Amino acid sequence: MVTAIEVHKATKTYHRGGETLVVLDALDLSMDGGAFYALMGPSGSGKTTLLNLIGGLDHADAGNVVVGGTDLSTLDGGQLAQWRAANVGFVFQGFNLLPVLTARENVELPLLLAPLSKQKRRAQAEHALELVGLQDRMDHKPRELSGGQEQRVAIARAFATDPQVILADEPTGDLDRATATQVLELLQRLNRELHKTILMVTHDGEAAMFADKVIHLDKGKLGRIDDNRKAAAAGHTSRN
Amino acid sequence: MPFKLLLRNLLAHPVRSVLTAGSVTVAVFLLCVLDAANRGLDTAVATASSSRLWVQSAVSLFVSLPASYESKITTVPGVDWLVRFQWFGGIYQDPSNFFAQFGVDAEKWVKSYPEVEFTQGTLADWQRARTNCIIGEDLAARFGWKIGDHVPLIGTIFPRTDGATWDFTIAAKYRSKSVNVDQSTMFFHFDYLREGLEQHAVQGPQGVGVFLTQLRGDAAPDAVIAGIEQTYENGPQRVRATKEAEFQRQFVTMLGSVPTLIASIGGGVLFAIFFAVLNTMLMAGRERTRDIGILKALGFRNSTISALLLVESLLLCLSGGLVGAGLAKMAERPLWSIVNSMIPGFSIYDSILLQGILLAATLGVLAGALPSLRASRLAPVTALRLDV
Repeated sequence: MVTAIEVHKATKTYHRGGETLVVLDALDLSMDGGAFYALMGPSGSGKTTLLNLIGGLDHADAGNVVVGGTDLSTLDGGQLAQWRAANVGFVFQGFNLLPVLTARENVELPLLLAPLSKQKRRAQAEHALELVGLQDRMDHKPRELSGGQEQRVAIARAFATDPQVILADEPTGDLDRATATQVLELLQRLNRELHKTILMVTHDGEAAMFADKVIHLDKGKLGRIDDNRKAAAAGHTSRN
Repeated sequence: MPFKLLLRNLLAHPVRSVLTAGSVTVAVFLLCVLDAANRGLDTAVATASSSRLWVQSAVSLFVSLPASYESKITTVPGVDWLVRFQWFGGIYQDPSNFFAQFGVDAEKWVKSYPEVEFTQGTLADWQRARTNCIIGEDLAARFGWKIGDHVPLIGTIFPRTDGATWDFTIAAKYRSKSVNVDQSTMFFHFDYLREGLEQHAVQGPQGVGVFLTQLRGDAAPDAVIAGIEQTYENGPQRVRATKEAEFQRQFVTMLGSVPTLIASIGGGVLFAIFFAVLNTMLMAGRERTRDIGILKALGFRNSTISALLLVESLLLCLSGGLVGAGLAKMAERPLWSIVNSMIPGFSIYDSILLQGILLAATLGVLAGALPSLRASRLAPVTALRLDV
């Protein structure tokens, strides 16, 4: 498997009230392309910060993050924005859909940054919504959708531009168990069908089970990486 | 630029958008009207005739000159003829029905005002009876007066000793081709007034209010002015001669700081509205902090996100400005009929409307600049984290 994401000695500190908080401490990490990763750890362990660095939403104070061969530390704000538009899809805990736009328009939004005709844009947005099973909710605004449907629209938006990497920050945090399972199954299915690298921050051990690998962070450092596939295979072998 | 998002944001809070645009509408409407009033005052000065001088008492416009001055001033080189003018100040039924009335020498008045033309009746009709008068088309329209109608006026400066009203008969109507002569005035025979005073049937100041002095074609106005003023340099009553433009200007000056006040009110209104729009746009910007974060995460550039807020503010103010300018144009005629006796040059020119619309657009850009700058400076992570 090709390495999709490499994090080299990434350090990130925050200053609050004269206190310096080291959120990521010279973190080294490497992720394979096309795999589904869960990122776990206690609050303040640096999960969301790492996600933001990989997504080009923030810069590391030291070290660098390379995604798909691009060293993000070499890009300025405008270049990062352009890079994000082409290479990353985001799924947030609070869905983060624009309330004034319909489901289709929300999915179409990142496509405005791609050199596509209006018809092509619309077709691509509709296809993405069909992938998440919302073909009958395209003209609904977010307030007319359930939480699970909103998150599926957000997932469709993340996949619409055909990015290399999907970053999901607690995507099931605001959902009930049944809906959360549907969303996780959807992410898993899209990962397998479309071979996108997915990195999902979660506190939920059950959610993490949907990923291929689980990265554990602790106090800004890499703890361990569990391989769910190997564990599942081993469990299967021992049962046999 | 995601135009759909821009429009949806504009319409997301329709009441707020309408109220904000409405406040700009009111501001632009007021600015257009106030500017038209200010320019109107200047127009009367600018369109004044250069062949007419006005001679008044050096003491004040409200002090009459001896009637005997007429013959002597006529002999000053460069003077062709004089027209006696007397402000009458009568009341038609109620003081709220105010309109200007002047006693004049009919024939010479007509000769002096080539810009005035009879629309009904003739000079001969006017001259047929001493109580006849001529009225402007706008005055006729205001009261629905027709030829032959009687107009009773209560004398205030010149009350009749028997307590009766003055009775005038409308013999002709006029309109003016120039804004320096308004169409809301009544002119009657000066001699009708003079005879009443001589017969003691009327109380009031003797003499003549002002003399309109018609210059010969080749006369140098400054030399004639000097000649007239020198004639009465040593009394019995000194006179002041002015060009018509100067004479008109003194009425504007008499208004004192009114033009400044008008301009100040306009400026004040604009400032108040600016803060209202700024407040709205700041609120809109803050409410959309998370949306800004989402757009940044999706890859929209800072410049695009700034432009979204800036153009939204611009569209909001511009729409208000266009409606305000449109309303001002629609209100031009009704407003003119109210103010034309005081401001005959009142007109809402296209340049005034354009200025109002440009001001609204500037207001929009200025009010949108601050939230737009804030949006561009906001880090995506911060914007996404903030829950406004």
